[in-house]
Amino acid sequence: MQTRVHFIEELSRLNHDVLAMGTRVEESLRKALEALRTQNVELAREVKASDEIINALQLKIEDQAAILIATQQPVARDLRELVTVFKVTDNLERAGDHAVHLAKAAIKLAGEAPFRETERLIKMAEIECGMIRGAVDAYLNQDADAARRVAAEDDAVDAEHKLMVKEVLGLMRERPEQIERASRLLASSGFLERLGDHMTNICEAVVFMVEGRHVELND
Amino acid sequence: MNPIRPLADIVRNRTAPENPSANAGRSITVRSLSAFYGKHKAIEDIDLDIHPGVVTAIIGPSGCGKSTMIRCINRMHEVIAGAYATGSVLLDGEDIYAPDANPVRMRRRIGMVFQKPNPFPTKTVYENVIAGIRLNLPKMTKAGYDEAVEKSLRSVALWDEVKDKLHSSGASLSGGQQQRLCIARAIAIEPEVLLLDEPCSALDPTATLKIEDLLFELKEAYTIVLVTHNMQQAARASDTTAFFLADERHAGHLIEQGPTQDMFMHPKDQRTEDYISGRLG
Repeated sequence: MQTRVHFIEELSRLNHDVLAMGTRVEESLRKALEALRTQNVELAREVKASDEIINALQLKIEDQAAILIATQQPVARDLRELVTVFKVTDNLERAGDHAVHLAKAAIKLAGEAPFRETERLIKMAEIECGMIRGAVDAYLNQDADAARRVAAEDDAVDAEHKLMVKEVLGLMRERPEQIERASRLLASSGFLERLGDHMTNICEAVVFMVEGRHVELND
Repeated sequence: MNPIRPLADIVRNRTAPENPSANAGRSITVRSLSAFYGKHKAIEDIDLDIHPGVVTAIIGPSGCGKSTMIRCINRMHEVIAGAYATGSVLLDGEDIYAPDANPVRMRRRIGMVFQKPNPFPTKTVYENVIAGIRLNLPKMTKAGYDEAVEKSLRSVALWDEVKDKLHSSGASLSGGQQQRLCIARAIAIEPEVLLLDEPCSALDPTATLKIEDLLFELKEAYTIVLVTHNMQQAARASDTTAFFLADERHAGHLIEQGPTQDMFMHPKDQRTEDYISGRLG
């Protein structure tokens, strides 16, 4: 006879909400990406509006996790899982914020011919959509190896960011009248680079949850 | 390499856990209840609401009147010589202390399970389950008794463990099985309310968790009140918690009642916080 059925069901509900939150963050980033690619201002505004839902999900999940800790006295992996969920939601929420930053940049950059360098931003964001999906799946599947693989993808994001900085600085030197617009590219690249770090943070938390030890997966 | 599905597709293929359905059972309304053992007042002026479909836990330190409280709910308190109660206990609006109320009939509607498992030692598992049926209900056919036994034992997740030894002594079962047998005996007569007075005190951790899981299922059909000195059990197994306290100046009285998650996350009363955090002996 399986015991702790009620606790297991509650954990399942919690993880369902984590999945929903991760889904929304990925969707936000995809929409921001598309808004940037197609200069679709309305789509960018949708990203800003949906950030409130992401923030509300974070609070709901964290409240529920705290209640489970208070009422179910979890130990061992159960406790690590509930402690980890706080890090997962915090980093997902920050990722959602960075998607909003990208959407805002898409609004500001719309209306004029896009920079060639925008393609590199889009490439970074596409990598990170995969990282969001992979990090959340690694948490839900309690898979430390998958978490390590996802964290490794951040190297590609960091490399693109370095190239972006170099290219945009060159752009600013060549076309000083575009400095203000070009600086938005630079800022967006920075946000995306940090978004990758947040996904790596989730992966480190997953390793802690599974293996019970702290690891550093960021370079 | 297989393409990874977008996260949104994964979400659409997963279903949310089902929500529990609406429940049966009866509401219990306690108003101004005080209970005495002769001149000694054990509990005073209790106002308590117990709802169907939930597990209500009563917690508090030793001597605060928890057991006295629930024994008043099924009028077992007055079985003790010199003991009496004042105030009212309404079962779905019907006053169980009304002058024309029949305590014996009331106790059939409000079943009780005690701290120490107490299967009748000279009776078999089968006979234990139907003991209450024989006393309280019209005579049944053998098939009727068989059906009642299986239904009760399945309800407490004991059927598979004892179906091949129904005619063994009830005392031959493990402690946890005996307690589930006692619960089966209590629900065999189809009460509306189930009172449990520290039902897991004598059980090991695994048996305790099985009983707690069982309560979670039984609340679908019965109003359940659980007295426990184990705060962690109250936190795990109940939906609503009531905290009682007694001191030099007061008999046992209700300090605070509320949803369990609120009581254990942010209790309103400092005495509740002190007790559940182990700072109040």
